[in-house]
Amino acid sequence: MSSSAGQAHHGEAHQKPLVGSMGVDSRKLGLWAFIGSETLFFATLIVTHLIFYARTSNTLSSVGALELLDPRLGYLAIELTTVLATLLLASSLTMVLALAASKARDWKRFRIWQLATILLGASFVGGQIYEFIHLYHEGLKLAPAFEMHLSHEAHKALTALNLDPSIVRLKEAGEHATALVPSLFGVTFFVMTGFHGLHVTIGIIWLIAIYVKVSRFPESPENPMDIELGGLYWHFVDLVWVAIFTLIYLI
Amino acid sequence: MADHDSAVTHHEEHHEAHGTGFYWQVGGVLAVVTAAEVAAFVYRDLFGHVTFLTLLFILMFAKGIGVVLYFMHLRGDARIFQFVFIVPFTFAVSMVLGFLVLFSHHVGIAG
Repeated sequence: MSSSAGQAHHGEAHQKPLVGSMGVDSRKLGLWAFIGSETLFFATLIVTHLIFYARTSNTLSSVGALELLDPRLGYLAIELTTVLATLLLASSLTMVLALAASKARDWKRFRIWQLATILLGASFVGGQIYEFIHLYHEGLKLAPAFEMHLSHEAHKALTALNLDPSIVRLKEAGEHATALVPSLFGVTFFVMTGFHGLHVTIGIIWLIAIYVKVSRFPESPENPMDIELGGLYWHFVDLVWVAIFTLIYLI
Repeated sequence: MADHDSAVTHHEEHHEAHGTGFYWQVGGVLAVVTAAEVAAFVYRDLFGHVTFLTLLFILMFAKGIGVVLYFMHLRGDARIFQFVFIVPFTFAVSMVLGFLVLFSHHVGIAG
């Protein structure tokens, strides 16, 4: 009995937020500051990619080849990424439901929603790996040029334009025709979306750690804040995808 | 000090007022906005380029605001959290828009 009372007292001691000089929980403030810095990090990656896309499309447009060689229209189909966006959005919903369940101390519901969040996140990463492999085989590589497969009609049309090889280099081998376009479009695309995928993967590991910890120590008074911090990070990676989905795939 | 801690805890947990039904509603609205984005992309030929871009930016910001205010609970949370996020976010948006304008028509250092 005295042992339980001791544990309860120990729990109360931890239940207080770690209030710093700013008058708020220091861990939460630190995470918000991290999210603020990450916002700038991803904005830099996104704008770099958009600049290389704009430069490539301007060059191709100036030689009359944009309709045939627009790297976005050629590579970035939105069917898969719409599914990925939906998965991540759904995971944000399940995450906030997990947090609400934890605040109500309903650990059974918490485990269901947290597990759903982890599975949805893992599905997103799986879809992104599939997309990367598909794009790589299509010719988009982590290299300072991208290669596009051409139909015979497109190859004929481009040949007729008599393009400068420094802008577009055409190749034809048997039934296959390709165009090699110097641009960092592929590099910036893979770096940007790859970093986002890495953040999602780290988020999944974080959420699994929270799941295991809460399952083993459901009475720990630190659980709600641990879950809230993991959830904040998870919603942030969803927020980044909201921007990437629109700016990279739709516009 | 105890009063101060209590006030902090009360302030930081202001968002507890939302029930799960509210989060489902927000999730539903965000799903509809996503569907509207994809529909706008599929039928982009119906709009002018500027209208299309404006529409997508509005929908993107609507989704982002929904996630930040209601899922990340920034609404009603301590002002320092809002400050720490909104300031770099404003810088980021300004940087993206500034560079897009600079590089959009072969001007400036775009060559």
